[in-house]
Amino acid sequence: MTTKAGSGINSKWIGLVVVLFGILLLAQHGNELLKQLVITPGSVAAQGVAADCRADELEEEGLSLRECELLVSNVQITLVSSPDWFRPAMMLFSLLGSLFAVSSIYLGISVAANSNTNSLSLKTCLGVLLLIDLLVFVAASNTGPLLRAQYLWPSLLWFFVHATLLAAALAHLNEQSGSEA
Amino acid sequence: MAKQLPRSKVIMHWITATSVFFLFVSSWWMLSLPLPSDVFTYRQLPFQLHKNIGITLLAIVVTMIAMRVYGREQSIQANKTRLEKLADVDHLLTYFLLIACCISGYLSSAYSGWETTLWWLVDLPGWSEENDDLNILFSDIHLWTCWALLAVVALHISAALYHAFKDDGVIDKMFRL
Repeated sequence: MTTKAGSGINSKWIGLVVVLFGILLLAQHGNELLKQLVITPGSVAAQGVAADCRADELEEEGLSLRECELLVSNVQITLVSSPDWFRPAMMLFSLLGSLFAVSSIYLGISVAANSNTNSLSLKTCLGVLLLIDLLVFVAASNTGPLLRAQYLWPSLLWFFVHATLLAAALAHLNEQSGSEA
Repeated sequence: MAKQLPRSKVIMHWITATSVFFLFVSSWWMLSLPLPSDVFTYRQLPFQLHKNIGITLLAIVVTMIAMRVYGREQSIQANKTRLEKLADVDHLLTYFLLIACCISGYLSSAYSGWETTLWWLVDLPGWSEENDDLNILFSDIHLWTCWALLAVVALHISAALYHAFKDDGVIDKMFRL
């Protein structure tokens, strides 16, 4: 059993939840990185080129003509609403977020596999992820309403997820220190 | 305490998990990009990446199944509880749906007339000429098998969380480095 008597701290539970959220976060940051790579300033949507909506493509995708046109507007929203600094900043945050998400998966597995694993590195990793959430939140809050609507709520959710996991890792670390003393 | 699985299979399990969630998130987003044409090429990179990860995932899943079948990992256990039987069904369904998702996605792409270059290195053979009806058919199969996969994955994760919280040793086999 990995739950210490009287402590109520289950390292296996902490490890699995860290791994689960690490996987979900990696998907999110990976997709954000892909998004920033694909939607580039000055690309065709920014030049006001009309959408190319062929009838056969509309049928395949199950789209109306108006929806097809709005797909271009969707890209224009990102391009027009992004200040010059936003794309490089988001690429940096999503790259760092992806790297630390992978680290959190590895560390979560370590903690779940061995309850005596030193969770200092896990605590540090979760702290960095918390900081990245905060930076994404601050960056998005300095853009217009269209990007704020896309980014603020998810980054706030991730902030609280990582705050919760960090609290659990801190409690686990304190428990370790207590048992070593 | 559950028997530990080979390290290679544990790694493949976590790569599969990560890939599946990335494929879901990125596919929901990439379908909101403008339809492809000579000038609108936003979908090229995400779709190629989606196909590359999907094909690689298929190879990983087939390897995992082969390891399960030939590796004799599963000890034959009589008198399984209802939850254990449900877990077996969930595992089988997960494997089946992973394979069905990957193959239907590849076939849909093949009949759409778009070429697939695996990891931008190897041109995969085209199965046929462009065929809209087969493209739509396999696209629908891809869509519904993937929704079903998401449901069984949710069940799988819920069961893992349940066993982790109970700390009964069931999930130990997937936690090794």
